[in-house]
Amino acid sequence: MAANPMHQFKVYRIGPEIEISGVNLSFTNASLFMVISAILITVLLLFGTREKKLVPSKIQLMSEMLYNFIAKMISDTAGKKAKPYFPFIFSLFVFILFCNMVGMLPYSFTVTSHIIVTLTFAIFIFIGVTILGFVIHGFKYLKIFVPSGVPIVLLPIITIIEIISYLSRPVSLSVRLFANMMAGHTMLKVFGGFVISLGLIGGWLPLSFSVALTGLEILVAFLQAYVFAILTCIYLNDALNLHH
Amino acid sequence: MSDLEDLKTRLKIAKSKLQNTNLKKADKKGIFLGNAFKLGTELVAAVVVGTIIGFILDNWFGTKPILIIVFFIFGAVAGIMNVFKAAKKMQGDGN
Repeated sequence: MAANPMHQFKVYRIGPEIEISGVNLSFTNASLFMVISAILITVLLLFGTREKKLVPSKIQLMSEMLYNFIAKMISDTAGKKAKPYFPFIFSLFVFILFCNMVGMLPYSFTVTSHIIVTLTFAIFIFIGVTILGFVIHGFKYLKIFVPSGVPIVLLPIITIIEIISYLSRPVSLSVRLFANMMAGHTMLKVFGGFVISLGLIGGWLPLSFSVALTGLEILVAFLQAYVFAILTCIYLNDALNLHH
Repeated sequence: MSDLEDLKTRLKIAKSKLQNTNLKKADKKGIFLGNAFKLGTELVAAVVVGTIIGFILDNWFGTKPILIIVFFIFGAVAGIMNVFKAAKKMQGDGN
C-alpha cells in the first residue's frame, strides 16, 4: 500500500454516504482538506486583521503582505479597471496556495492534484470572463477572434485558430496546475520508496534527493498558485480592455 | 513615542538595504520561471482542444478522418501561436 506512489491521490468517503437525486455528495478526504485550507485562511486573515497595530505583529504582517502582493499583481497585469475583481482573485490565489501548501504536509491530501478540481476553477473563470467580456463590450467582444491587419483570404483560417486558442485557455490553465502538483507528489513518493527499498547503505542518496525535491515542490506549490492567479488577471485584462 | 522614533530609523535602514540588494531581480526570476511553466502546457492544450473539436465535428457530419486531421493541424498552429504570443509578451516585459 505505502509503496504505491499513486495511492496518495485516492479519494475516499469520510462519514455517511449522501446521495441527492443520483449525485454522490458524500464528504470525502478531498472535501476535508478543502475545509482545512479554508479554515486556515480564515484563521490567518481574522487574526491578522483583528488588531490593527501601527507596528504589525507577525501574523498581521503576513496577511498584509498577502494583500499587497495580490493588489500589486492585479494593478500590474490588468490595470485599474480590474480593481473590483480583487476579492475574487485574492480568494482564488489564497485558496490554491493553501491547498498546495497543506498538500505538502506528510499524510495530507493535495486537492489540486485532481484535474476535476482545477478544471472546475478554470471553467468557472473561463465562463465568467467570457460573460464579462460580452456584458462590457456587447457583440464587439467577438472582435478578439478577428485580429486587425490580416488579409481577407487568411481571415477564416485565422479566426478558427483564434477560437481554438481561446478555447484552449481553461485546458492549459487547469492541466498546468494539476500536472505540476501530481507529478511533484508522485516523484516525492517514488524517491521516498527508494529510501526504504535501498535501506541503510544505499538509501542516503534518494533521501537527499527527497529533501531537495521537497524544497522544489514548495517553490512549485507557490509558483503554480501565482501563475494561476496571474493568468486569470491576464484573461480578465483581455475581457476588460479590448485591443486588437 | 520613542518606540516610533526607533521604528522610523529602523525602517530607513531597512529601506536602504532593500535598494542595495536589488530585490527586483529575484522578483523577476520568479516570473520567468512561471512563464517557463506556462509555455509547455500552452502548446499542448491548443492541440488537444483542436483535436477534440475535430473529433466532435467528425461525429456530427460523419466525415470521420478528415476534420480531425484538419483541426489537429489548426490546433497545432494555434498552440504555436500561443507560445509565440507569450514569448513576445515576455520580451516586452524584459525590456
